[in-house]
Amino acid sequence: MSLTRRQFIRNVSVTGGALTLGFQLTACSGKPLQLGSEADFQPDAFLRIEPDGAIILQIPKAEMGQGVVTGMVTLVAEELEVHPERIGYAMAPVHSAFADPEMRLQITGGSASIRVYHEILRQVGATARETLVAAAMQQSGLDRASLEARDGRVRSTDGAVDLAYADLVAIARALPVASDVALKPADQWQWIGHYDQRVDAQAKTDGSARFGMDASPDGCLTAVLLRCPWFDGAVESFNAEQALEHPGVVAVFATEHGVAVVAEGYWPARQAAGKVEVTFTPPGGGLRDSAAITEALTTALDGDDFASVRDDPASTEAGQGTLVSGRYAVPFLAHAAMEPLNATCRLTEDGCEVWVGSQAPDLAQDAASRVLDVPREAVVIHNQFLGGGFGRRAAADNVAEVVAIARELKRPVKLVWSREDDMRHDWYRPPMAGAIEARVHADGSISHWQHRIAGPSINQQVLPVMMGAMLPQWIPGGPRQLVGDFVGKKDFASVEGSKELPYQFDGVSVSYHNVQVPVPLGYWRSVGHSHNAFVVESFVDELAHAAGVDPLEFRRKHLAADSRERRVLDAVAAAASWGNAPAGHYQGIAVHDSFQSCVAEVVEISLVDGKPKLEHVYCAIDCGQVINPDIVRDQMIGGIVFALSAALHGEITLKNGAVEQSNYHDYQLLRQTDTPPMTVVLVESAAPPTGVGEPGTPPAAPALANALFAATGERQRRLPLRMG
Amino acid sequence: MVAFSLNGRNVELKVDPATPLLWVLRDHLGLTGTRFGCGMGLCGACTVHLDGAAIRSCSTPVSQAAGRSVTTIEGLGGDHPLQRAWVEHNVPQCGYCQSGQIMSAAALLASNPQPDEEHIRQAMSGNLCRCGTYHKVQRAILSVAAVEHWQPAAEDAS
Repeated sequence: MSLTRRQFIRNVSVTGGALTLGFQLTACSGKPLQLGSEADFQPDAFLRIEPDGAIILQIPKAEMGQGVVTGMVTLVAEELEVHPERIGYAMAPVHSAFADPEMRLQITGGSASIRVYHEILRQVGATARETLVAAAMQQSGLDRASLEARDGRVRSTDGAVDLAYADLVAIARALPVASDVALKPADQWQWIGHYDQRVDAQAKTDGSARFGMDASPDGCLTAVLLRCPWFDGAVESFNAEQALEHPGVVAVFATEHGVAVVAEGYWPARQAAGKVEVTFTPPGGGLRDSAAITEALTTALDGDDFASVRDDPASTEAGQGTLVSGRYAVPFLAHAAMEPLNATCRLTEDGCEVWVGSQAPDLAQDAASRVLDVPREAVVIHNQFLGGGFGRRAAADNVAEVVAIARELKRPVKLVWSREDDMRHDWYRPPMAGAIEARVHADGSISHWQHRIAGPSINQQVLPVMMGAMLPQWIPGGPRQLVGDFVGKKDFASVEGSKELPYQFDGVSVSYHNVQVPVPLGYWRSVGHSHNAFVVESFVDELAHAAGVDPLEFRRKHLAADSRERRVLDAVAAAASWGNAPAGHYQGIAVHDSFQSCVAEVVEISLVDGKPKLEHVYCAIDCGQVINPDIVRDQMIGGIVFALSAALHGEITLKNGAVEQSNYHDYQLLRQTDTPPMTVVLVESAAPPTGVGEPGTPPAAPALANALFAATGERQRRLPLRMG
Repeated sequence: MVAFSLNGRNVELKVDPATPLLWVLRDHLGLTGTRFGCGMGLCGACTVHLDGAAIRSCSTPVSQAAGRSVTTIEGLGGDHPLQRAWVEHNVPQCGYCQSGQIMSAAALLASNPQPDEEHIRQAMSGNLCRCGTYHKVQRAILSVAAVEHWQPAAEDAS
């Protein structure tokens, strides 16, 4: 590679539509980025074309089922003028070139991947294409107008020149990278909005897809870890005499995370773990039982210690109209991804290598480096496919654990969590309680909307961890926790989806009270929207009924005429034949904005022997320009199944500080037989793409609760719903 | 020593006979296509065939496979009609449960080549999918079930 390209500064900036793209191979993370070989054409950090024509895209985001690999490959393929299936892909290593330009971390979350990268990746494809065309110009002596790139080749209009990209690699790699390239107009798109396959489907069908669980460096042993059942305890003492006699066991020792049992394979490790006697330090103070936590949330709602996050004053005096109010509550939830957490570590001369499926490989790197007390650059993360993420795999507790085990063992080791470990040591969606009220007036108008939210703050716990990976390593944890404590007072994650209430009511106030619990908290598909949509859209339904107006009409009436909310409501109402459900069927509706997309859903139920049965779910989404329509539909359906599993079954409870649930029998998910037919409408839009992975989730629970009210006349204000 | 037929080849290994077949496949034989999900037979991610019938390998001791025929996702060959249908319909999202889904579906079609939607739903209800791919699982199976000339019997014949 020429020096000029190495000096290219990665500068991804989208300002007024202008976008410059490059990268520096020796970025601020200190270690040069080494991908492929010197013989490759590598115009930037993302793409390389090898001399044999192989095209490889570095994927800066985690593939956890949401289809990000396919989406990213499609965007590059469109501009590079190749079929998406011709582009190979690799999970990007940790490097500043792959940090999300908005979040400044290499993190997958906030349904942001395609929104943030769609233009950057088209630029990557177009830049490579134009540099290859420049190589063909040099080779053929023809000008740009006489050449066309198509199907992985550059041809002259008269057909005399016909060069495969592979034939141009050697010339292209010595040329300056094309700049100021034009992107294809939408009416010339061949793949964007049209390609509806998944490029990872084959590997995920024949068993060859590699998840973190499948990593197996030479000589790798398997570890299981006995953790303290409560979250603030540590190992006090242990007796491993019997366990060490178990065939296949290699070592039993304590780390800062628990007692590790290492063996030749998972089964002997797990069997031997059952023979270890461990005493943990006793639980500390704080709220240790679900009943106490529920009471603390209720007490908070009874008080007035709330931080305001929105306060639009009403134009009328309070006291007029009819006061409608309700109290809502939702529980702790687990992620329960199908692949239990795991991670594999091999020590190296100066640090270690880690194999893991991670939503935040730079947080994993930071966690590993702190355990070994080495610079971050001494930790190499090999990111794998994720067997489900949903927010859980943004945490790196599994990585810290395995690195600590490897540090003591000094041999390659894979840490495998059991399903029970996974259920009992999650970073949980926090419980929330809400007190909500508004005044309904005779003319149908609504005023004095007031939503008070009480519950634990995710960001108070998680932001200090994230900052640890962003700031220089020497900065101690104390100041970071102070920032977390400050943010926790008005945690944006706790109020998202309530604060942005789209209805034109006269006077809206939203406020929050942080209730601290000694339980790890984390992001759960759609985060704050997962509970706030339930409260807000259930209560809007209450207001509609109080006003004596059809719930769809009520929403339309209080939304701006040209709003996206109205458009998706109309689309879903048409699909569901709103108001004309079959005899004995009852419908509930909800609309919610999240991650810059807007989704409306109608849940249709019947009553069988007095018990509600899911009959059909209708969904309409406006997510801007659709890249892959099939994947968007799948994400809506998947998000709805996720939400309905929680609405019908999801509840994590605590006793003496420990989680009571353990496996899929007491933390149930919707199964094939429980899942109703669904219809998804993609509302056409040429606006830039917005979120898809999470926005399908929030409206499902309130739409179901509203359908239950339509069927039974009873308002359910708690999740999980009690169905009959 | 436990000996059994694995994807058409004889294997013989020294292992604690109580070890679940899942861990023998993954840790001893390096066949990682069969997935660990719950360890209690609740999720179906570990589904394989024992003499053609779908079983949960996480809770089946390897001793039960002695002298019998085991087929895993790798044994379907990648070009099985169900696998082709899975790719065509883009069934997988995260993909972790799909080996188990496909093995359950293959056993279903072997016993009932033309199941209707209700049969499919019932037969597949033991396989959890956290991504919610159930509709596509159903559609992919139906598309294969509709192919009348396909005889699913050959795969596990031993």
